[in-house]
Amino acid sequence: MSVPNSPAPADEKRASFEREALVHLDSLYRVALRLTGNSADADDLVQETILKAYRAWHQYQQGTNAKGWLLTILRHAFINEYRRRTRHPESVDIDAIEPFAVFDQGQDDDPQERFFDQIVDDEVLRAIDELPEQFREAVVLSDVEGMSYEEVSRILEVPIGTVKSRLFRGRRLLQAKLHDYAVDMGYIKGSRT
Amino acid sequence: MNCREALEHLYEFLDQELTPELQKEVREHLEACSPCGEQFDHQDAFLKFLQARCRSKSAPPELKRRILHELFGE
Repeated sequence: MSVPNSPAPADEKRASFEREALVHLDSLYRVALRLTGNSADADDLVQETILKAYRAWHQYQQGTNAKGWLLTILRHAFINEYRRRTRHPESVDIDAIEPFAVFDQGQDDDPQERFFDQIVDDEVLRAIDELPEQFREAVVLSDVEGMSYEEVSRILEVPIGTVKSRLFRGRRLLQAKLHDYAVDMGYIKGSRT
Repeated sequence: MNCREALEHLYEFLDQELTPELQKEVREHLEACSPCGEQFDHQDAFLKFLQARCRSKSAPPELKRRILHELFGE
């Protein structure tokens, strides 16, 4: 005997998927865009991720970290099917990336404010896109998506120490790129030697 | 805590990934050391700038429609 008003399993699956997974569509899109570097591939990657996630929804433990689970699926799909044709992994001499002061004290009245005010969003995103992939992934997950080191570590399948190191170098490299851009555009005076 | 130790924890401090004890030690160093305090402030400002510029982008409405159609035939 069926219970009146009890939702069918398909309806329950849909409701829980909408509630826990589809709410992260914007995050998935932002990460996909930075990984693939173009909106057409990002669209396809997100769609594929969502369809895979829906098929595997029974494996997801409800109430746990859906965003992390979805981003893991997305990253695997990217590595398996998109990476080869969208970007060529760049080689970078990691040790050559040295910390430096982005805002040289005393070079301007307020170089920091000028820097932040004048750099446009597209330039920030372009600078992220130019980062080597291993740094870009860490920066996007942490700084763009606000994930903890532990979550980033699980998604990238590397130890937390590696996440810290990639974040450190990725952020410094990003600052160097944006600094050079700001100098080139005449927003701030050059201070790097 | 000295300057070198504080700087080693720079991003972990800003990302709030340190234990409460270490977080407190770094904060005390920053209060006493203005050069380190400035470096941390600059990095903090940069991270906030990055977040503000990158977190606003949404998935295109057309993609959302496409996905709902694929999933539920809508």
